[in-house]
Amino acid sequence: MDGQPVPSLVWGAADSPELKCHVLKPSVEETVMLRGGIVGFGRMGLTHFSILNTHPNVDFVAVCDSSSFVLKNAAQYMGIETFTDCERMFRTMGLDFVVVATPTAMHADVAECAIANNAHVFVEKPLTLHPEQGRRLLQLLQGKVLVHQVGYVNRFGDVFTRVKQLLDSGAVGQVLTFRTEMNGPTVLHGSKKSWRSKKKEGGGCLYDFASHGVDLVNYFFGPPDEVVGTVFGSIHSDGVEDTVSTTFVYKGGMRGNLLANWSDPSYRKPSCQFEALGRMGKIIADLHSYKVFFSYAPNLDGFTQGWNQRSYTVFATPVRFFVRGFEFTRQLDYFIDCIVEGKPCRISSFEDGFTTDTMLEKIRTDGESRGH
Amino acid sequence: MDRIVFGDNQFFGINHMSEEKAQSQAERFKDDDAILDVIDAARACGIHTFMFSTHERVVGLCDRFRARPDKYSDLKLCPSIPYAYKYANAVNEKGILGAINEFVFSGQGAGKAIHTIIRGGMSVINKDMIEVMKLLVDADMRMFQGLNVQAVFLQNTVTDMLLGFHVKEVFVEYANHISKTYGVDPAFNTMNMPDLVDFLLDCGIENPIVCSSINKAGFAMNPSRHAYERRLADGRFRPMAMSVFASGAIRPREAVEYVCSLPGIQSIVFGASSRSHIEQTRDLICSCWEEMRKSELAQSA
Repeated sequence: MDGQPVPSLVWGAADSPELKCHVLKPSVEETVMLRGGIVGFGRMGLTHFSILNTHPNVDFVAVCDSSSFVLKNAAQYMGIETFTDCERMFRTMGLDFVVVATPTAMHADVAECAIANNAHVFVEKPLTLHPEQGRRLLQLLQGKVLVHQVGYVNRFGDVFTRVKQLLDSGAVGQVLTFRTEMNGPTVLHGSKKSWRSKKKEGGGCLYDFASHGVDLVNYFFGPPDEVVGTVFGSIHSDGVEDTVSTTFVYKGGMRGNLLANWSDPSYRKPSCQFEALGRMGKIIADLHSYKVFFSYAPNLDGFTQGWNQRSYTVFATPVRFFVRGFEFTRQLDYFIDCIVEGKPCRISSFEDGFTTDTMLEKIRTDGESRGH
Repeated sequence: MDRIVFGDNQFFGINHMSEEKAQSQAERFKDDDAILDVIDAARACGIHTFMFSTHERVVGLCDRFRARPDKYSDLKLCPSIPYAYKYANAVNEKGILGAINEFVFSGQGAGKAIHTIIRGGMSVINKDMIEVMKLLVDADMRMFQGLNVQAVFLQNTVTDMLLGFHVKEVFVEYANHISKTYGVDPAFNTMNMPDLVDFLLDCGIENPIVCSSINKAGFAMNPSRHAYERRLADGRFRPMAMSVFASGAIRPREAVEYVCSLPGIQSIVFGASSRSHIEQTRDLICSCWEEMRKSELAQSA
């Protein structure tokens, strides 16, 4: 050893935004209570509600959904106002923020309604079905001091935030190729009952499932210059695709592949794997762990030449309240922090969501141009 | 509750350390016989209490237990219900009510289905989530019929999501339903132990059994290891420790010594795939507990 200290990366979300918005941060004596509403009380809506309902700065007061089962029980047991019309909800409840967890096709209209009513807005992924809708939302946000965020939860995951920092540090050198693969048992029968099997509502493997993998590419490398070779495949579904494969090409020479399949019964739950080969090393990551290969002695964070493995059981930090995954709480707590502290959202903002939407659109049109 | 409880994560491809390891375990345990071999090895090591999720594979295992009452009369089972991904995938395909219908009415003969409709009919019409919850509990408990059930655990994703809802009635009704219908203690798995215990006590559920990750690494201890240690010191519940080794992140002796040093821990849940690993872990737990008991006696003397 040469006695020099080993440099280390400062792990954590790469976020140090300057204050831009008006500051809601409370004085020592008072706690800011934000009046929250939720539109879409399905699986993700219930998860978001559960996490935020325990937040010390949040008072959930309203829910909007089309299901009488859901609304009846929300009113009876949770004591919140229920609506089937979100415009009415905004008009009557005076909401500080709203969480939008409807089928994707409704995201743009509900988010527009939120912005018109000066409510901070968190939208489940993907942001919209058509990039022009996202562009319009960004225009509407111009001049408004509103926090806006999209539910690309991988950007808050223990492993992928570290992979991002490793890539940005240049430790594996210039990236030449990458691969993102998503598989899961989400659709194992040809059911037509769920919105996920309806293209018009935002169903299908690309928008509802693979969008996480597409956003991961956007998060790590930004949008590609070209999307080529897209193929959609069907396994169980009639109206939507169950598999997606595509290739991203970047002007600098980097290229990458995305493979997604939401009809794979060999998986217990949705999984996301990422691999990048750089000039000086390689990274292989999934939701729980990552491996890095260095072709040199990196003198960084205890990593050595050759293979290094790290598991999130060692580095995951606990959260205030856990439901389904650390990253679900982190993304919502970040959203609320941005509102309370009056800072703009810098992780998975509508701008990021819009860029990912444009990538999804390119994949869709490329696949359709091949007759898939 | 026994001091050592054997868990089932390893059988069904669940491993927090790595998806790769989970995959190889899923391959190894693809046949029920491979699982039963490990269960038999655990029994030979003096472990008789087993926590089982309601993974579809458990149906076949329970059939095997029932088929050999002479062999498996020592078994004490702790179902952890529901198996969340089973519901999540069904909700994706069929919506919430479609999924409920599938699980409430699946696997029943016509006579039992009519009985369920009579009992559940009103709840479907009334759309009352507590009544629906009871029907789903009964549907999941069907696979354990005729076996010796010790306690019924509410699985952690469901427990924690419901905890976030702050609806006391759900917890009270769940606890009442388990004790009245099955004659055993209701129990809870959670990733938010301190908050859950306080909430259950607020609900009037006395001395609840609560199983959570407890390990020296602080892994999956939300909001903090310190909060867990404080809550354990306050008592008034029956704590069970799981993820004691944080999937291998802590050295075994250090891991067990830490957990045994905490106040009030009733049981340690662990999973293993080989007889030698089961024996080593059992011996470690027993010796640490014995040392702790001796030092307590010495202190009180």
